[in-house]
Amino acid sequence: MAYRKVEVATPLIVKVLPYVSILGFFLVWEIIVRTGIVPDTLLAAPTTVLKTFFVKLYDMDPDGATIVQHAWVSIQEAFTGFALSLVIGIPLGLCMGWFKVVEGLCRPIFELIRPIPPIAWIPLTVFWFGIGLTGKVFIIWIAGIVPCVINSWVGVRMTNPTLIQMARTYGANDWQIFTQLCIPSALPMVFGALQLALTYCWTNLVGAELLAADAGLGYLITMGGRVARPDIIVLGMISIGISGAIIGFVIDKIEKKLLAGIRR
Amino acid sequence: MKQTHSIANETVDHARTREAWTLKRVLTNTYFLNAVSLIVFLLVWDYVAREHIFHDSLARPWDVVKQIVYLTNHKYAGTNLWGHIWASTRRVLIGFSIASVVAVPLGLFMALNTRVNAAVKPLFDLFKPMPPIAWVTIAVLWFGIGETSKVFIIVIGSFVPCLLNAYNGVRLVDPELYDVIRVLGGSRRDQIFHVCFPASFPAVFAGLQISLSVAWTCVLAAELTSSRTGLGFLIKRGMDTYKPTLVLGGMLLIAAAAWLTSQLVNILEKRLCPWKRHIENL
Repeated sequence: MAYRKVEVATPLIVKVLPYVSILGFFLVWEIIVRTGIVPDTLLAAPTTVLKTFFVKLYDMDPDGATIVQHAWVSIQEAFTGFALSLVIGIPLGLCMGWFKVVEGLCRPIFELIRPIPPIAWIPLTVFWFGIGLTGKVFIIWIAGIVPCVINSWVGVRMTNPTLIQMARTYGANDWQIFTQLCIPSALPMVFGALQLALTYCWTNLVGAELLAADAGLGYLITMGGRVARPDIIVLGMISIGISGAIIGFVIDKIEKKLLAGIRR
Repeated sequence: MKQTHSIANETVDHARTREAWTLKRVLTNTYFLNAVSLIVFLLVWDYVAREHIFHDSLARPWDVVKQIVYLTNHKYAGTNLWGHIWASTRRVLIGFSIASVVAVPLGLFMALNTRVNAAVKPLFDLFKPMPPIAWVTIAVLWFGIGETSKVFIIVIGSFVPCLLNAYNGVRLVDPELYDVIRVLGGSRRDQIFHVCFPASFPAVFAGLQISLSVAWTCVLAAELTSSRTGLGFLIKRGMDTYKPTLVLGGMLLIAAAAWLTSQLVNILEKRLCPWKRHIENL
């Protein structure tokens, strides 16, 4: 027998440690707040945060909306911006990867805009669009388009050159090589961009809402800061974290499903 | 012989013959296209600003340049332009250094030791999806509006990509490399120092690049919320006093500063790990 299956048992301590560390973390957090090592004006205990969450499900104080409404506003903004950046960014990146003329024309502008943190656009968008939905969608769009363009561009660039040469030998023209060879081979990279773009969108959404908003999870945090209620701040942070994680998980599943036929 | 065409590792060498300057060649020349695109961009910008399409809220490019030059030799809120640039850069550098010094070794250590991994990874996964900007409010609550809160946000923001890349860099090292050094009789120590670290360096540097750009985003967010110096302060002041020249000037300067620091990390990377393969033109 050439190969033998070797089973390595995971030691018990490695199995238990993750639960211990999570539990320990929450316990320490609870204790340092309850015993007053950290005053409760600075940090809220996890149980308080949980209680605030249930209260916020129906109570509109002090920020004028329930937590579900806030989350809904945020998700709406994030997805509009995200979808727009996909629709524009991916075709642009693919074309930039293959057509020299498109690359020559778009690259300087792209390189000019790329290093500007999307948050820096907030004042201009407030001037241009006010503090409504449009402005935030614009910022999220700017944030999401960068990874989309870069990944699809690199994806096309990484096409196996042997395949391109083979296609040329068989008499395919540039357009056929681009649509039938480069785009499919760039797909895994493009899907990698989805996850990345979503993270960027989510981060910058919070930034946009912290600075200029009247609803949304970021706004919930700002209001918590303004009325000095750490439980609301922590609640806002946690809800942003959890909703971001859930969306990321869903996208990951979709990606796996769509990519099932493509060899990585 | 000159490389004229490249996709990934394909390089097609042409024996260059002297070609005539046909119209088509000039029109598809990369530098020509770049120049055209920048000029058109500036002209459109200028036109939109001049015709007040966005009312008064877009400044003409030339006015932005004048504003930047004006700031270099006039004090604005206590210090001139260099003072503001340095204030932001210093925050970024302090936060970024703290984060990378702690996160990179921790990431390497987590990847090498299953017990450390089992203890730290769940906590890290708990904090990972939380955008660093969400910490701005609570940082102000904890540390006031001074330097500490800004550095804290930058540390939080740049910690995650550093650690994640160091961790994945080690885990994705080609297992055959380990086999080779084992066959050659290397100890565990040799495996770590001669295979694991050199092979994961490119990933670590990629992480440093990402965290640097996150650090600039964070410093901007922190300065926009509350500060009295820095480029973010200039942008915020421009917003409050409705001066688009100041906002656009601040944006351009922060882009330049972010670009320069990332070039610095690039140079450092070339020095420290010359074995990394690059994709050309990117």
